Amino acid sequence: MDENPGVSEEYRMVSPWPLFVALGIPIAEIGILFGLVPLAVGGLLLFCGSIAGILRENEYVSSAWRGLAGVSVFVIAGGLALWYADTATASDLLIRAYSLIGTGVLLLVAGVGGDLFARDAEPGL
Amino acid sequence: MAEIFDRDTLLDLTVNVIPLGIILFFVAAFVLIDPFGGLDFYGRVLQMGLLAFPLVALAILTYVSGKAIAGDEKRSKVFFQGQATIEGSPEKHEVEEAIEAEAAGETDVEDPYGGDADEDESEVDPDADDNDDNDDESDVDADDESDESDESDADEDGEVDADEK
Amino acid sequence: MEITGQLLLTVLMGAFLLGVAAFLARVEDWRSYTPLGAGGGAVGESGYGHSEKPAGLIRWFTTVDHKDIGLLYGAYATVAFVVGGLMVMLMRAELTTPETAVLGSATFYNSLLTSHGITMLFLFGTPIIAAFSNYLIPLVIGADDMAFPRINAIAFWLLPPGALLIWAGFFPLPDVIPAQTAWTMYTPLSAGVGNGNQMNVGVDLMLLGLHLTGVSATMGAINFIATIFTERAEEVTWANLDIFSWTILTQSGLILFAFPLLGSALVMLLLDRNFATTFFAVEGGGPILWQHLFWFFGHPEVYILVLPPMGIVSYVLPRFSGRKLFGFKFVVYSTLAIGVLSFGVWAHHMFATGIDPRLRASFMAVSLAIAIPSAVKTFNWITTMWNGKLRLTTPMLFCIGFVSNFIIGGVTGVFLASIPVDLVLHDTYYVVGHFHYIVMGAITFAGMAGIYYWFPLVTGRWYQRRLAKAHFWLWMIGTNVTFFAMVLLGYGGMPRRYATYLPQFATLHQIASLGAFLLLVGGIIWIYNVAVSWIEGPRVQSGDPWRLDETDLNTAEWDWFEAKRETSLAATDGGEDVTADGGQEIEDDTAE
Repeated sequence: MDENPGVSEEYRMVSPWPLFVALGIPIAEIGILFGLVPLAVGGLLLFCGSIAGILRENEYVSSAWRGLAGVSVFVIAGGLALWYADTATASDLLIRAYSLIGTGVLLLVAGVGGDLFARDAEPGL
Repeated sequence: MAEIFDRDTLLDLTVNVIPLGIILFFVAAFVLIDPFGGLDFYGRVLQMGLLAFPLVALAILTYVSGKAIAGDEKRSKVFFQGQATIEGSPEKHEVEEAIEAEAAGETDVEDPYGGDADEDESEVDPDADDNDDNDDESDVDADDESDESDESDADEDGEVDADEK
Repeated sequence: MEITGQLLLTVLMGAFLLGVAAFLARVEDWRSYTPLGAGGGAVGESGYGHSEKPAGLIRWFTTVDHKDIGLLYGAYATVAFVVGGLMVMLMRAELTTPETAVLGSATFYNSLLTSHGITMLFLFGTPIIAAFSNYLIPLVIGADDMAFPRINAIAFWLLPPGALLIWAGFFPLPDVIPAQTAWTMYTPLSAGVGNGNQMNVGVDLMLLGLHLTGVSATMGAINFIATIFTERAEEVTWANLDIFSWTILTQSGLILFAFPLLGSALVMLLLDRNFATTFFAVEGGGPILWQHLFWFFGHPEVYILVLPPMGIVSYVLPRFSGRKLFGFKFVVYSTLAIGVLSFGVWAHHMFATGIDPRLRASFMAVSLAIAIPSAVKTFNWITTMWNGKLRLTTPMLFCIGFVSNFIIGGVTGVFLASIPVDLVLHDTYYVVGHFHYIVMGAITFAGMAGIYYWFPLVTGRWYQRRLAKAHFWLWMIGTNVTFFAMVLLGYGGMPRRYATYLPQFATLHQIASLGAFLLLVGGIIWIYNVAVSWIEGPRVQSGDPWRLDETDLNTAEWDWFEAKRETSLAATDGGEDVTADGGQEIEDDTAE
């Protein structure tokens, strides 16, 4: 009974991010579907922020800021796609497109800014 | 491959051959009897495709899984389900051989079907008693008894009655 | 007005985000905290002791331990089961009279009907299975944890928002009414076409909630496939993989192909409803397209729900039969066969839609073929018990109840697979009776078997035996009274989904309601028993509480339990675990 049983008790099994990834998705979905800008922006910020945090925790990215900047590209791309679809279809998607692009830009600024200025906040790197 | 798909494995796989056979039966029936005659080609393709797809997929999956399972049986030790990681649990073939030996030699078998009767271990391997907490085999029996007495408040089902606690 | 609304939302959202940030700052500040290495599961001993889990609620909000997540799934499923059960009790109360005298309106009945189905299938059925698989599979296959512990946590946390969205219509929100589409959400009704009220935002919210649970299930499935393929202990070869893991593996494969399709179909429906696309409009893809997409997901979903319970029964039933599972490999191969064939039968739900008779015949052929693997399993269970040393413990009773109910549910299903019979019985209570025999009589019974069987493993305590047996008998009788009455109602021609009915059906409906009442009483007993026993049940006195060693039927999770007991006894020096005769127990353990 040495090796495996109970091993999972013996190292730290905690991460704060999954809860917020899971909260971010529905908030963003509702916001985008119904065109509610605060929910769309807030949900996306929460979702993307948590993704960046989880990537950092996994050490898939070297800092959460860079993760943020990376994620922002996808959000901006999604926003641009909606912007294009707005002109190509009868549906009114502009407000949603702006929410996505705006959030993406915010994330990008935060990511780049954080990476440049807030490096000291991450000791040990 | 010839070794992996031996007679035993093929026997195990018959369970999936039956649904394959049922599908084939309907394929044949639809071709020979043709109950909805005068089909256009497209309809016929759909009709047969709906039968052919599960048939082929099931055949492939049966082959692949049979190969994986039977292959692992040949390559490494086989235990009963859920017992592989328990130290000292008997291997499947040991238990089966013991039962066969018992059935051949002794007529006084209480439970000829129970591939796990207590008598087996003594013949197979004294250590095989998977009382995994035994570091010391000599007190196997003592352990068992102490287990019994510990559970004296549990009834025969091993569950505890509220009134008895 | 609109501006104020937006402003209010913005303020609320901002406050919420600030709160999240503050919480994260606190949690991240602990810094006692060693992140898992890259890639998740492959982490060795880090030398940290086991006091590392934070205390209180935060532990549950931040955990990525498969056992904790399993418990969360279990708690969640229990809540959903209670909600869905109370909903159906209202419906059964309504159905005691031919008019809508009890609830007052058929609309409310329709809402309950929709929510009951979706709650039980997506919020109870799938999660309760995930509870067992999360807790047990890593233990049984000798893995340290799931392959992707964080994805595991994300998958769980998607469920509570999903449930809130699905039930949103019942909350006192302005202008939101519950969906009344039934769980199948057939278009054009669910597309909001026509004069009905199903264009309401409540339906959109329900679709979003369903979408979330689908995403959750898919993430879980990927995790299980990766775990079972890559994280098995060396000795656990394919030949040694236990039957429960096999069914979970097959189920995960089904989820992987079925749920993304449901998600896509739901998005298409949302687009139809909100952005004037025409996927399911008559001038576009047509309303029947929804049925094809839905049932291509929906039929595998039936097996997604039933295969793991079959695995639980195949795992638990031999332990109390005193024998190994008869024909273990037959059960494995037939599980895989069900997995594949389940994708070839979807249109047997659509025999009455005017579908081309040639295609219908093909679907009938595969539907009949898929009955074989299920029947094979039934015979395996019966043969396992044949001449065995049966111990009629509560889990065993539930297993036997499973087999019994599954036979009735399965046989009524085989008839439905046959086109001529289906055309007569389609959309009658016969169908309702049939599938409730499966989902309640079989799936839920197996879930209860699992709950009682592993209760000592999870809690270290015993449940109350008499209450558990009372629960079983109430449910066994209740299930058969309720759902056999439904089968008979179906023979009489009573159509599904109606709040009102002709007076000649009254007696059978009242009998069904009586059975449902027995189920309610049994359910209350179950909740009470589990809750009270968890807190103050007598402690388990050995690492092998079911005395499986005596028949050589011990399994890895009890081995782990034994090891855990020894560690904790050694660590606490008996401090906490001493009960009346505990002293002796400790002495024995240390002497060994």
